[in-house]
Amino acid sequence: MKRNISLFLILILSCLLLLFYSSEKLLSAQQDLNKCLPDEGIMKGWKKDGSLQQYKGEDLYLYIDGGAEIYHEYGFRKVIIQDYINKNEKSISLEIFEMTTPESAYGIYTFKTSPEGKELDLGNGAQLADYYLNFWKGNILVTLTGFDEDEETINGLLEIARVVESEIEISGTRPPLVSLLPKKNLVPQSIKYFKGNLGLYNSYSFFTKDVFGLKEGVKGDYRDGYSLLLISYEDNVECQRKLSEAKKSFRKSPRYKNYKPFVEKVFQVKNDRGQFIFISSFDRYILIVVGIVTQAQVKKIFLNFQEYINNKT
Amino acid sequence: MAKKIGRREFVKKSAKIGITAVLGTGVVSQIIEGSVRVFEGEHIDIGVVTGSDYYSSTIKAVDLIGGIKRFVPKDSRVAILPNVQRWHPGTYTKPEIVRSVINMCKEAGAKEINCLSWLDRKNWEATGLAAVIKEEGANLKLVEREEAFFKPVKIPKGKALKEAWIMKEFFNNDVFINMPITKDHAGNKFTGTMKNLMGLNFSTSNRSFHKKDWQTDKNAIEHLDQCIADLNTVIKPTLCVVDATEFIITNGPMGPGEIIKPQKVVVGVDRVAVDSYCKTLWGIKDEEIFMIKFGYEHGLGEMDLNKVKIKEKKI
Repeated sequence: MKRNISLFLILILSCLLLLFYSSEKLLSAQQDLNKCLPDEGIMKGWKKDGSLQQYKGEDLYLYIDGGAEIYHEYGFRKVIIQDYINKNEKSISLEIFEMTTPESAYGIYTFKTSPEGKELDLGNGAQLADYYLNFWKGNILVTLTGFDEDEETINGLLEIARVVESEIEISGTRPPLVSLLPKKNLVPQSIKYFKGNLGLYNSYSFFTKDVFGLKEGVKGDYRDGYSLLLISYEDNVECQRKLSEAKKSFRKSPRYKNYKPFVEKVFQVKNDRGQFIFISSFDRYILIVVGIVTQAQVKKIFLNFQEYINNKT
Repeated sequence: MAKKIGRREFVKKSAKIGITAVLGTGVVSQIIEGSVRVFEGEHIDIGVVTGSDYYSSTIKAVDLIGGIKRFVPKDSRVAILPNVQRWHPGTYTKPEIVRSVINMCKEAGAKEINCLSWLDRKNWEATGLAAVIKEEGANLKLVEREEAFFKPVKIPKGKALKEAWIMKEFFNNDVFINMPITKDHAGNKFTGTMKNLMGLNFSTSNRSFHKKDWQTDKNAIEHLDQCIADLNTVIKPTLCVVDATEFIITNGPMGPGEIIKPQKVVVGVDRVAVDSYCKTLWGIKDEEIFMIKFGYEHGLGEMDLNKVKIKEKKI
């Protein structure tokens, strides 16, 4: 009996310690994020304007009502927001998002950036578009927004971004799936990395329903005038099952016409915008080609991809 | 030409024709359909004006469907709901369009013009809307995001949403002018007149429009759009004035995103028809937007633009 009580007490104590440790971990994560905020003394001419805001988990909705879903699809933990102002009343808003993984941060980074932006050497990837600067590093996404494109605003964006970046000690790499996109003629800034159907739907709306059962995917545009979408699955069995479901959906949908086999294992449809869509699977990947392409081009794309996958995997 | 009617007759007629509007006696009243007055001219469902002078375009567009006096009775209190979600270009209703509507309401003899919102003052200031509202002598009524400032409203026809929480301040008005900007939205690809009504609804209730745990599963978009259509069954704007001049078609609703500039102001009473028209401006297909179909199924309006009378003008 005494032994049972002792065991019970040890168990309770262990649970309490675990709980305390977890809270400490959470607290230290929060501290780390706040540490990234530039002190006023560091930046010439820019000082904090207003108080720091912070939103965690589902509360993100209170900050970006209507725009929070996509962050949650990628995997969101929390965001801190601080505005800055200079003597000429130029204003910059700094948002530091803590995502769940580096893949999440990279994904939402690709969602928020555009092919027209200018790439910067910052963090694990950065882009400046007009008065809007985004970069990601590790599981952190940083967004800086000015209110105009004046030189002092742009300089302020760059300055604050560099200070924040220097305070982020972690680093990350792009998801391996991205490297499976063939590099030849790829427009690098067109890459979109998906962690769910909403991301895909915003990039290309095949269907509002998640017919591909998308958990991970990547899209890239090519200078030849087509786009490649690559969707990854756990294994070949799941991949084949999803391909079969997708085929059914394409066949049934009034938005798609001319459903037919193209070459072995590849089927084609035409969408309501007159673009051809070619779909096939390789190993545990579904590959989709969208665009105005000749049949010869498509055959070459699939053949090259097959070889590419074989070499890569 | 609008036939003038007195306030008492206006209220009576409103209730009789069964359209929704807001009766402001200081007492919260069920939003009763219809403040639109009889119009003896050519019936136009949607008025569209294209041009770079957005202030004038707004006036001309309202004129195409009968003029402001058709919608705003003398001595009425007018609630205006612009979209001020963010301050990036192409994400908020342009100040000149709001200024134009405020001035038209003043000209019609409105005794009070109230811009309503539960968003932060920062949004209104950064977009330039706060300055315009002040300059034109209208009121900016910012409602705190506390339950106490909202009133539960049952949604008898609701399929997914059974109860909304509408800001109490809204019920102190006689006329409601809905003023969204049409744009991209990450959650369901499209924002317009119907979705803008979420701006009157309590944020906790809005949160329920989205699936639990932020699942973006196959039903999430339908659920969101059904909730929006349901919400629209209990609030009907007297008039919709849509900013389709310059708006984002990517990275919505917050932006920044790719901007297109059709330079159009689109007005109408039929929300389904107006949204259906606006989505064509950037090539969205009917099948892609459940909200329009669900609105149509609720009997809120016509989604087939072939059945809608549209008058377009360039200035």
